[in-house]
Amino acid sequence: MSFATRILLGANLNHDVLRARAVRLFEYQAKDLFKAYGIPIPKSIKADDLSAVREAFSKLNHPVALKTQVLAGGRGKAGGISIVDDRVEAQKEAQRIFVLSIGGEKPSAILVEEAYPHDSEMYLSVTLDRGDRAFVTIAAMSGGIEVESMSGKVIRKIPLDGIDENFASEVASLLALKGDQAGQFAAILLSLERLAREKECELAEINPLAVGKDGTLMALDAKVIIDDNALFRHPEFAKLHPEDEFEGEASRQGFAFVRLGGDIAVVGNGAGLVLSTLDLVGDAGGSPACFLDLGGGAQQDRIEAALRLVNRLPGVDRILINIYGGITRTTDVAAGITAVLGEGPVKPVYARVSGAEEEEARKLLEGTPVKLFSSAPDAVAAVVQGP
Amino acid sequence: MILPKKGDPVIVQNITGKYGRLHTKLMLEYGTNIAAGATPGKGGQDVEGIPVFNSVSEAAGKTGAKISVLFVPAEFLQSAGEEALEAGIKLLVVITEHVPIRDTLKLIQLAQSKGATMIGPNCPGLIVPSQQVKLGIMPASSFAPGKVALFSRSGTLMYEITGQLTGAGFGQTVALGMGGDPINGTTPIECLDFAEKMDETKAVVVVGEIGGDAEERLARHIQKSGYKKPVVAYIAGRHAPKEKKMGHAGAIIYGDYGTADSKIRALTAAGVKVAMTPAEVPTLLMQSPV
Repeated sequence: MSFATRILLGANLNHDVLRARAVRLFEYQAKDLFKAYGIPIPKSIKADDLSAVREAFSKLNHPVALKTQVLAGGRGKAGGISIVDDRVEAQKEAQRIFVLSIGGEKPSAILVEEAYPHDSEMYLSVTLDRGDRAFVTIAAMSGGIEVESMSGKVIRKIPLDGIDENFASEVASLLALKGDQAGQFAAILLSLERLAREKECELAEINPLAVGKDGTLMALDAKVIIDDNALFRHPEFAKLHPEDEFEGEASRQGFAFVRLGGDIAVVGNGAGLVLSTLDLVGDAGGSPACFLDLGGGAQQDRIEAALRLVNRLPGVDRILINIYGGITRTTDVAAGITAVLGEGPVKPVYARVSGAEEEEARKLLEGTPVKLFSSAPDAVAAVVQGP
Repeated sequence: MILPKKGDPVIVQNITGKYGRLHTKLMLEYGTNIAAGATPGKGGQDVEGIPVFNSVSEAAGKTGAKISVLFVPAEFLQSAGEEALEAGIKLLVVITEHVPIRDTLKLIQLAQSKGATMIGPNCPGLIVPSQQVKLGIMPASSFAPGKVALFSRSGTLMYEITGQLTGAGFGQTVALGMGGDPINGTTPIECLDFAEKMDETKAVVVVGEIGGDAEERLARHIQKSGYKKPVVAYIAGRHAPKEKKMGHAGAIIYGDYGTADSKIRALTAAGVKVAMTPAEVPTLLMQSPV
């Protein structure tokens, strides 16, 4: 697999929405950061509705690009970007884009941006290379969607305390940039690296970095993903995204939670165990509705909260619980299930409870409608088959 | 890395926190020699009869400990890790979850410059059953002494698979959780090289998951180095969606990068037997010349 495929974080790869825990900024948010760090961007105005688009159109030079603000990749191909030159056309296109869902995601706004006529495009990013356990910069003389196929990429490891002018100039010369353009490029790389380091980004990407008719470099798109574990140092990014009701509740409870769209809710303790349970369900022909990791050492109240959450999740009609008891006490799990059963109707529960105090846990669940199993494959076979 | 031996003195950092207290008790019950705790401002207290010091250097000076287990909150983890490494700690076991990537990278760099090893972050720790040494949070009941070395990115899957191994008569020389983050203090390659040098280890089990390319790199290493000991692997996440963090910060697929299929293909090509379920791991081990 090519290096760029390995580190490329989003260009047209998947239409899923990254929303729950990864802090990926919308283009207009990323461009605000670019502006603050001195990276050149075209003049633009974010518009939340049609009248704001009209107002922005009247304030900017024409033509303008109307760009849907979604996190999903491939928005251009999906019709989310339109270049317009007159007011009526702008109105018509904005109307269309405001209701255009991309990969199930509705636009959060339209960015109205002055078009930037240019001759060629470049690619530039600062990103984490997991395999080499280092941040790297990647630069190429051609921009566009398919970064993995770009020829003549330059990849350079970035020291943890940042880069200097020599480093940036060297990358520019490796790209065979000369004179003023090499200087512009080096300045942009220095700014992008400083932004990525100071704001603790997993990715800061300019694609494309356009070379204008007069040779001026301009960042036409901006992609920034913040390391969500570093948010305590960057609270300004913590509340940037709307989350759905269930994701919001799961994150307040401290669960790792991903909605998947099937009919079997999958709950367990430990990310790897739940992941492996999804595989068992998938192999048996079932379709998981969600991934819910209770976390280590979950106590009765957390089991209850998880069960209540998945019980009212749309689309769920069976619940699979896979617990390997250790620090999580299986008796707490059993007591939690029993408590929720006592509150009202609960979708059929299939539980595999194994490990310390297993026998006591089984006794607690005797006489309840919960179907109990001692092995995960048995529980999965039963839940996939259904009642 | 040097494996801890019975009686080696161990420090617990943030021993006075909820998890520090709980797991100090459980580690002591298993037989680990927790010699001291360290929490800034809590010097003079004791936890489970273990003296608490204000600093790691004081705790290490009093006990001679070269091992520390960290239950320090993520915000303070980097400085706590630096303090330990500066105080001469050679084995740093970081249980803490949600550590920023750049903090982990800085600690790895410092550990390397000091000739120290970092396990984690976001890991269950390691256990050496024959020495009654448990440095971490794994439930002791799953583990037994034996000849298999197990390395896992996931905690609970490590317990689950070890439980299956123990049930099938395969005890462990060591079981080590590498951690669920995108960047780990120890890589699978380092773990396998370490297992190769352990005479008592006759076979190796690697538990991987989606995200990154550590397993692909491991497969290339096994092939290139002509790895001698039989290796069985299990990879979780064959049915995981793309671009979603599946519980672990490191368990995320981007495009074709980090898929379970890619890892399974690479490992299989390197001669590693890959189990499709946790329960299949002992079955595949039985077919290996252990």
